[in-house]
Amino acid sequence: MATQAHSLSYAGCNFLRQRLVLSTLSGRPVKIRRIRARDDNPGLRDFEASFIRLLDKLTNGSRIEINQTGTTLYYQPGLLYGGSVEHDCSVLRGIGYYLEALLCLAPFMKHPLKIVLRGVTNDQVDPSVDVLKATALPLLKQFGIDGESFELKILRRGMPPGGGGEVLFSCPVRKVLKPVQLTDPGKIKRIRGMAYSVRVSPQMANRIVDSARSILNKFIPDIYIYTDHMKGVNSGKSPGFGLSLVAETTNGTFLSAELASNPQGQGAAVLPEDLGRNCAKLLLEEIYRGGCVDSTNQSLVLLLMTLGQQDVSKVLLGPLSPYTIEFLRHLKSFFQVMFKIETKPCGEELKGGDKVLMTCVGIGFSNLSKTLK
Amino acid sequence: VVRGKPASRHGGSGQKLESESLVDEASDIENLLGKEEDHKEENSSVETSGALKWKEDLSRKAAEAFLRQQQAAPNLRKLVYGTVTEDNEDDDGDTVEELGGLFRVSQPDHGCKHKADSLDCSRFLVEAPHDWDLEEVMNSIRDCFVTGKWEDEK
Repeated sequence: MATQAHSLSYAGCNFLRQRLVLSTLSGRPVKIRRIRARDDNPGLRDFEASFIRLLDKLTNGSRIEINQTGTTLYYQPGLLYGGSVEHDCSVLRGIGYYLEALLCLAPFMKHPLKIVLRGVTNDQVDPSVDVLKATALPLLKQFGIDGESFELKILRRGMPPGGGGEVLFSCPVRKVLKPVQLTDPGKIKRIRGMAYSVRVSPQMANRIVDSARSILNKFIPDIYIYTDHMKGVNSGKSPGFGLSLVAETTNGTFLSAELASNPQGQGAAVLPEDLGRNCAKLLLEEIYRGGCVDSTNQSLVLLLMTLGQQDVSKVLLGPLSPYTIEFLRHLKSFFQVMFKIETKPCGEELKGGDKVLMTCVGIGFSNLSKTLK
Repeated sequence: VVRGKPASRHGGSGQKLESESLVDEASDIENLLGKEEDHKEENSSVETSGALKWKEDLSRKAAEAFLRQQQAAPNLRKLVYGTVTEDNEDDDGDTVEELGGLFRVSQPDHGCKHKADSLDCSRFLVEAPHDWDLEEVMNSIRDCFVTGKWEDEK
């Protein structure tokens, strides 16, 4: 894949991950300039440097050049190698920040990826490991990425600012992806959740569960929220608690929402009752947005559709997030794929807001580095 | 008919604004119809079915008004692919002005810079949350659940 294609040029640190991921998959080098050029503290941050180091571990033959101030990055991708890897993520961002990129890359490695990530498992910014486990993994299965070795396990939970969490992610490799037709989300049959607490009273999780149930019970009786209280070395370095909720439909769609307490020493203390109620309302918002894929995984599903076999793929989404809109533009510049975008008004039905139907023809991407056995 | 039909297709944000423009359009149509009526009276009622005829016209005009509004609604494809944020290299030259021939005042374009260097996060935050304690808001997603109404064929 390391061809001498001419490089794409961007400015600013926003959307860094999708640019580097798409560059790796397409083999086109990227140059990113003016990274926080006008900031008091210019250049790449620690968490971005950690992300670039992770890409370097996963690939073979990448060329990475960063200028002295860290405001310019040149990346020429190598081949995705995979294998057994360990990585210490920066505690400034959640493990979800790194995991989102890994979910895009892992199916296309030479050797199946088995990676241990250390850092913050749950924070207020990035999708938590719990949510990605409950939503992104079933999504990948729809594309034919499945098997015994396909798992995401939380070994230790770590909250900001200290971190100390540990996650194991392993993913099989595939030569080609199946096209999908996700146009009918079905109806929500159950809601599952995970209320976790570390280094605080285990009672916190129970209080979260009660308040979240009080709102969701008005819609559906089948609700089960697990409580997870990790102790000792498995509870990381900082105290905290939170909740993640997932609504599952009859057609295998997963819609998620989550909230976490403020990091120790930042902001006012959050009552577990308020957190539970607010998280339940966020899940209702996500259900209102609707679609066959929840808002966090929009860009993942669009990428996998683009990389599928040369066949038509369709997916019904809720309103497009700003991150997804930028991702669509990047898909166009890296893979020359444009989606057909149709708005589906909600009409008279009581099914939330307007939906968007996305259609594309896959480019027939095949994983040439996968070894034949 | 004129007010009810298009309004039902639009939910959520900007509804108030749209309904205002709808009222405008409706009054436009009424004016037009009024003129037509005058015209017919001048023609000293040659056609007895005149009254019915302008009613047909009304539905056509309503349809046209609806189509006009559909086109005015933002086209998503244009939003995504049409307006690509431009990466102009020498924007510094435009925004710099000199002070006493020695110092330069740089006035960065805040909106653009902010976007290029803002937080890289895939989460889609809810900007205008609904009030989920209200019965009508709760009812808006009622059929998303198995406990809601099912279509006939299922």
